[in-house]
Amino acid sequence: MPLHWLVLIVLTLGAVGYIVGRRRAMKSAGGDARFLHSLPAYYGTNVLLVTVVPAILLLIVWLLVQPLVINNQVTGTIPDESIPEGGSLGLVMSDVRRVAEGLDTAIDAGAMSREEAASIRTEVTDVRQRLAEVGVALGSNVRPEVLRAAQQYRSLDATGDLAMTVALLVLALAGFGYGVLRTTKDFRARNVVEKGILALLIGAASIAILTTIGIVLSLIFNTVEFFGLYPAWDFFLGTTWAPSFSGRGGASELGVLPLLWGTLYISIIALLVAVPIGLFAAVYLSEYASPAVRSVAKPLIEILAGIPTIVYGLFALLTVGPLLVDVFGAGGIFGLGWMKGGTAVMTAGLVMGIMLIPFVSSLSDDIINAVPQAMRDGSLGLGATQSETVRQVILPAALPGIVGAVLLAASRAIGETMIVVLGAGAAARLSLNPFEAMTTVTAKIVSQLTGDADFASPEALVAFALGMTLFVITLGLNVLALYIVRKYREQYE
Amino acid sequence: MFDTERAKRDVGMNDIKVAARNVQVYYGDNHAIKDVDVDIEDKTVTAFIGPSGCGKSTFLRCLNRMNDTIDVARIEGEIRLDGEDIYDAKVDPVQLRAKVGMVFQKPNPFPKSIYDNVAYGPRIHGLAKTKADLDVIVEKSLRRGAIWDEVKDRLSEPGTGLSGGQQQRLCIARAVATEPEVLLMDEPCSALDPIATSQVEDLIDELRTNYSVVIVTHSMQQAARVSQKTAFFHLGNLVEFGETGQIFTNPQDPRTESYISGRIG
Ligand SMILES: Nc1ncnc2c1ncn2[C@@H]1O[C@H](COP(=O)(O)OP(=O)(O)O)[C@@H](O)[C@H]1O
Ligand SMILES: [Mg+2]
Repeated sequence: MPLHWLVLIVLTLGAVGYIVGRRRAMKSAGGDARFLHSLPAYYGTNVLLVTVVPAILLLIVWLLVQPLVINNQVTGTIPDESIPEGGSLGLVMSDVRRVAEGLDTAIDAGAMSREEAASIRTEVTDVRQRLAEVGVALGSNVRPEVLRAAQQYRSLDATGDLAMTVALLVLALAGFGYGVLRTTKDFRARNVVEKGILALLIGAASIAILTTIGIVLSLIFNTVEFFGLYPAWDFFLGTTWAPSFSGRGGASELGVLPLLWGTLYISIIALLVAVPIGLFAAVYLSEYASPAVRSVAKPLIEILAGIPTIVYGLFALLTVGPLLVDVFGAGGIFGLGWMKGGTAVMTAGLVMGIMLIPFVSSLSDDIINAVPQAMRDGSLGLGATQSETVRQVILPAALPGIVGAVLLAASRAIGETMIVVLGAGAAARLSLNPFEAMTTVTAKIVSQLTGDADFASPEALVAFALGMTLFVITLGLNVLALYIVRKYREQYE
Repeated sequence: MFDTERAKRDVGMNDIKVAARNVQVYYGDNHAIKDVDVDIEDKTVTAFIGPSGCGKSTFLRCLNRMNDTIDVARIEGEIRLDGEDIYDAKVDPVQLRAKVGMVFQKPNPFPKSIYDNVAYGPRIHGLAKTKADLDVIVEKSLRRGAIWDEVKDRLSEPGTGLSGGQQQRLCIARAVATEPEVLLMDEPCSALDPIATSQVEDLIDELRTNYSVVIVTHSMQQAARVSQKTAFFHLGNLVEFGETGQIFTNPQDPRTESYISGRIG
């Protein structure tokens, strides 16, 4: 039975359960809702939940586990000899799955009967040809053991699907029966529904947490694998970044220092732009601007935050870069010749700074507004001017929060990719000249993974080590920022 | 019923420090202060009493132009400090506030050290030439705030770490440090316990030797205890103004009478 039908049946059963549960509760109270422990809707919801939730959970688990089990079983049947030189079991298995899917497509298209699909032999039929007719293109002729494995795969899959359908329906019906039987006028349906909702919310929260853990674990495993192939010492302390892609020969030099330096340099320039401008904008908006000005200016600044970073990247590449070359380049108005091309640390830093302005200003604005009005009154009442009040009372009081905001901005700058790719160039370099092209950790992660390197090679796996490095740095910054912000919040509560 | 001892003791004629004539305050369309005329004497404690929302704070804030910081507030009429109109275009409100100090309802020390809290005003107005001068001003102010003995060993600790009553006396010391001529206090004891309240009340009585003090209070006992003159506000009008003993023992207006006997407010 197709999946959506199955889900629909379970949901319908749940809906019926709602009505039945409600009716039964009303009946057990003699038709007067006042004799019920809970409102009638809670009895219905209770039946609905016990019918639907366990069944859907089972469905999800089954869908996750079945392919693993089948894979395992089929893998066992493939003889070692049939794994080609230089290939792996995984590649053979992906062939198997592809053929199995091809057979499914052929059946759906009516080009093959079920029996035929289960019994054809490469020795007799040209399977590749037959599948090509229905639009499934295979890279090579189908080998007999692969076809047999595919057929076994299909039969196991069919058995599994049938078992799942039966188990699901039984579970839904059992839940339905259990829910309905429990429904009497003294049953505390309201409390049970409350617990059900709690479980639902916890479930949602755990999905968020579990995926984070999953991502971190995959980063860690791949990083460990990388350090098995490439010495950690050379990675962290190497001053040259020169990956050589497998096939072109030569050993790679994968030192992270030039990338970290590029990241740091660009981020510093970005913060030098964003922090003063963002902070001054926030002070103006929260302390000086009239409500009319604020109601226009604040959304305008926040629109900047909604611009996708790729647009900033284009802006860097097409506008800011050429503009800087006109000023600091060889033929520029000062004739300085400092800048050779449009892509440079300065270009990316400036544009990234512009991107961060609304981020810094809206965070600082919130923090400045959180300074109690009594502080302002106290200072103004002593005859201080507005700017003296801002400088000597408000900013010092808001300082921890502002530091937190700057750290959050820094961790965004460090993680930014698009502006760097388009604005800063791709050369990994340890240099102090801000008009030279450099690159960052994020930009190199992209280029290492989009190359044609084998995924098991150090040149590709280094991306995970880079990602891990970045993750640790930004995590550290975020934790520090949150700690400072939280500490500051307590001051006035 | 009311202890008006200090009031009886001290009623005499002093110079007029602040003279308000025909003062109107509007918050947008809300006419919050209507036609108020009042003369505040030098070296006298004047109490403003009246039910909540009758405009006591609003009128008090007119006297040092703190209402300028509220966008919707509009003030009409004339308020003279030593004969000079404080709403005149050539008067700098910032300078005015140094002369007319203010203490707020809730203690609001800055998140700075005790020393820096008191030194804040003198630093801004350049009252001290040297660090030693400043030390003298800080000590003198803290003594006047009757808190010197409690904080003299912890001047570098944050002012926010003191108890509520100490914070309020610190705020009074901070206001005194700029050498104001008039001190405005908006319910300075409403956040304090009885002991701290009586300390602050004693302090107010002492401040009278140097300043003209205006205090808004909800407590009629307090008004009777500390003030020589009392003004009763009701719905934005100044209903009655006179010697404190007179107001509390023999009010002229029926509204005053019902308020002090507890029937309105
Ligand atoms: N900042 C303000 N904006 C608008 N209306 C205000 C403001 N402050 C006070 N008011 C209004 O002015 C009136 C007098 O208030 P207030 O002077 O605070 O009274 P009191 O101090 O006697 O309790 C009230 O009606 C109040 O709603
Ligand atoms: Mg008030």
